[in-house]
Amino acid sequence: MTTTTVRPASPPVVTDPSITLRVRRASEDTNTVLWRDMIRTMRQPDMLAFAVVMGVFFLVLFNYVFGGAIGAVAGIDYLQYLLPGVLVISALQGAQQTSMGLASDFSEGVNERFRSLPMSQSAVISGRTIADAVRNIAGLVLVALVGILMGFRFASFGGAVAAIALATGIGYGFSWMGAAIAAKVRQPDMVGMLSMFWLFPLMLASTAFAPVQSMPGWLQPFVTYQPISAASDAVRGLANGVPTGDAIALTLIWIAVLLAIFVPVSVYLYKKVD
Amino acid sequence: MYIMSTKQPMSTASHEPVIDARELHKSFGNVEAVKSLSFSVEAGEVLGLLGPNGAGKTTTIKMLTTLTQIDGGQAAIGGFDVSTQPDVVRQMIGVAGQSAAVDEKLTARENLNLFGRLYKIPRAERQRRTEELIERFDLGDFADRPSSTYSGGERRRLDVVAALVANPPALFLDEPTTGLDPRSRAELWDTVRSLATEGTAIVLSTQYLEEADRLADKILLIDHGEVVAQGTPDALKANLDRNVLEIHLELESGVGDAQELLASEENAVADVEARRIDIHVGNDADRSLALLRRLQDGGISILKFQLREPTLDDVFLSLTGSPSTEIEESTK
Repeated sequence: MTTTTVRPASPPVVTDPSITLRVRRASEDTNTVLWRDMIRTMRQPDMLAFAVVMGVFFLVLFNYVFGGAIGAVAGIDYLQYLLPGVLVISALQGAQQTSMGLASDFSEGVNERFRSLPMSQSAVISGRTIADAVRNIAGLVLVALVGILMGFRFASFGGAVAAIALATGIGYGFSWMGAAIAAKVRQPDMVGMLSMFWLFPLMLASTAFAPVQSMPGWLQPFVTYQPISAASDAVRGLANGVPTGDAIALTLIWIAVLLAIFVPVSVYLYKKVD
Repeated sequence: MYIMSTKQPMSTASHEPVIDARELHKSFGNVEAVKSLSFSVEAGEVLGLLGPNGAGKTTTIKMLTTLTQIDGGQAAIGGFDVSTQPDVVRQMIGVAGQSAAVDEKLTARENLNLFGRLYKIPRAERQRRTEELIERFDLGDFADRPSSTYSGGERRRLDVVAALVANPPALFLDEPTTGLDPRSRAELWDTVRSLATEGTAIVLSTQYLEEADRLADKILLIDHGEVVAQGTPDALKANLDRNVLEIHLELESGVGDAQELLASEENAVADVEARRIDIHVGNDADRSLALLRRLQDGGISILKFQLREPTLDDVFLSLTGSPSTEIEESTK
């Protein structure tokens, strides 16, 4: 055994951090994880591409295939109706990518490394959800540009910004739900399968693609108040410059509810070890 | 003496153990993965955790590094309790190997920078440290490529280096050389030795007997979550104080016949495929000769034989009563 100690100094050990220090370090860690996830986003342009392609896919499919029928029934310019809904759906896809990304961190073993480090564990999720929100904004702008090429018209620039901001906001709320699912399940393929269960009902039984009046009566209460409908109606109002009733308030409430539930739940599940 | 205190500063000058495990216990459902494991590691010491797959090596390392809960017993790093003060313990440990990976989409330089940031090392110091590690461990050739493109050896090297970012006083290497080619393995061995020389307390798990023999100051031989034997590599081997007569036969079919002839020998172990028989004969040359003669008289064709010192393989065999296939494979 050798007892020579020429080991270079380690960082000073903090045994009893104050609340202020903890908060500061948590935000530093969030920043660090955000930086890491942004690099990953840049290196995997297919993630962004996938979100945009899905959005464009919905725009083209619904507009040209169902547009005539739905537009005629509701007596509206369907593209003006559709694009805001597609923005919300695209933001939801982004939330699903939060789920997939966190799950792959588990399967790659990076989360084990994070857990062995003196860092705020919640930062792993808060950094990722912010990175996903940033990617979402880029995706939504691209989808909106395609919509404009197809003939969509925003009522105003401010309305466009507000519409994208609100869609990003609801996507951010769902990102935390996605994180909670990933923190519980921890396997990318399982997470991918589970996403279908929340993604499709929320997406299709909503006012994103068709007005609530076109749906059966028993389904209408769910469709009217569920978060994706609220967000679609709100984003639609902002984009088209028409009054939205309670939709904006309802959307903000939904975002608050999602965060209030899934921030603590996802952090709790993430920290949990065998 | 073991003192558990919330504010006790770490001291490498005294002989306080840096890593101290007391009767660690861990179950997964009905399976007892680790049963009452105790050991301590001082600064500059390497503890080899040796055992086959499923022996409880990874679970032990995960318990000590806050990656899994300790069900029973206590563990302390630098005097800080692992269960009650994980945040403090995490400032003193580095983990590499099966338990913790690096980010595959990031380059080596970015990974080291990422972990340095998370250890809260100031920027200038962090950059200096990153460059120093890249230089010292020869990562330069691939430091700016995403780690998903690395060879097995490059990847393992980055894994270990990532654990060194904060110069942790306690280092845990979970099977760091599994799957490495001989050259990369030798390089990693050098790294481990030099880190120990610098005063790092190291726990290294391995399935390779040779590795534990070469690197460890003391070895904990574990199987099914229990310590089967412990001591220095030499002491473990001396414990047997019996040399091994290794007989290689010409024909595979001769092994069965030889076994019959040697049925009275308790310590004879036959390996049919290798056409080999090992017998613990002690230092009794006459006995070796008698055994060889018995085989010869029985018409067994002997290719070659040797009398050798017991290896850790033999230790394992004599202590657990069964050869570990993983270990035998790994030493070939």
